[in-house]
Amino acid sequence: MKKIISYFFLYIVFCLLQFFCGKYININGIFPNFILIIIVYLGLSRGVVDAELMGFLFGLTWDVFSTDIFGLRAVIFTIIGYLSGKIYKGFDKDKIISQFVIVFFANIIYWVCFSLIYFILSDDRSNSLSIAGLSGSIKIIITVLVAPVVFYILDRIGRYI
Amino acid sequence: MCQYQKSRHGNILFIILILICFSFIIGRFTSLVILIKKFVYYISYPNISTANFIFRSAGNFAGNIRTIVSMHQENIAYKQKNQELGDKLRNYDAMSKEYDDLSKLLKLTKIKNTASVFARISVRTPNEWYQWFIIDKGEADGLYNEIPVVMLNKENDTLCVVGRIIETYKTSSKVALITNSICVLPVKVKGKDINCLAEGVNSNLLKITYIPQEADIKCGDEIVVSELSGVFQQDMPVGIITNILEEQSTDFKTATANTFFEKDTLYKAIVLVSEAEKK
Repeated sequence: MKKIISYFFLYIVFCLLQFFCGKYININGIFPNFILIIIVYLGLSRGVVDAELMGFLFGLTWDVFSTDIFGLRAVIFTIIGYLSGKIYKGFDKDKIISQFVIVFFANIIYWVCFSLIYFILSDDRSNSLSIAGLSGSIKIIITVLVAPVVFYILDRIGRYI
Repeated sequence: MCQYQKSRHGNILFIILILICFSFIIGRFTSLVILIKKFVYYISYPNISTANFIFRSAGNFAGNIRTIVSMHQENIAYKQKNQELGDKLRNYDAMSKEYDDLSKLLKLTKIKNTASVFARISVRTPNEWYQWFIIDKGEADGLYNEIPVVMLNKENDTLCVVGRIIETYKTSSKVALITNSICVLPVKVKGKDINCLAEGVNSNLLKITYIPQEADIKCGDEIVVSELSGVFQQDMPVGIITNILEEQSTDFKTATANTFFEKDTLYKAIVLVSEAEKK
């Protein structure tokens, strides 16, 4: 029960952070992907099941709030949650370099899958290439740089939950 | 063992979640989700643009439903029409059989049914423009010599005389136009019962000969096929009188007539084949 409440709390906090705080704390309109960071964190600390379930829920919520193809982010975050959960024993999540590397690759997976599915299913195919363009690469860098801070905060919160 | 089971559950859950996600993607729920989202947003924070969006989306949806319903109704109407036509066809078959039986019993001459063979003109030489042309239908399509060739006159939507087949090959036939000098057609002046002949003179006009001297004809009178013709159907339009040449020395007068068939835009022709002979 405690676990469910704590996850619900994390879900609310990160949804608010991702969907409502973006307009206040962005860098030239580019905002880090906090949801991706928490999914990777959950995968590395709690394993496959928790990460993929939360990934699915976060993705579905984001799909509801966005105007993109419904189900697109849900599938990507579920895959990222599953993969990060699978490698959680191979990496020391407390090392900053590990966090950089894993979040970086998670970001790459996110953008590749996003562009690929968008390219296949969207009517406007030129848009999918621009998605994975400059804004995508800057967003990856910012997300990677923010990841250790989020990991640290989540670690601190995790001790009390 | 526990670890293995946990991993297995993780994999199964992963597959289930991925399948759910793909069903969302394939189901194309985006517009529906946007509509619901906008509706919820409108309930919590009503504004004109959201309301407009909702009504537009709902309008599209209603439009699609309306189209489906109207197509369904059309389908029902077509089915009924099909049923009616089917009944009529059955009646026609029964009547046709009855007609055959009665014709046999009373020894009546049967009316020949004609089938129309639509042909495209494949060859027409400029120096023999008013003499003949070749069509792309021949023996393989049931054509033979001396059968009538007509075309649809677009002005009055009637079949008018063009010529007759003079040579037939496997997949093509040569048609002599009525303006060809070898053609002579028994005609009459429509509504006046004046019998005469229409002769081709290898030009765009027909020469109408053997008009009785006392016959009351004038320019603009219509020429139709007379009952004496063995090739064409009676009363089929041929042409229209354009000029009357009075010759005092003979018992007959001569006139010129313009043909009804469009000489310059003649690309397609209809060959009338007697169905009994075609078989």
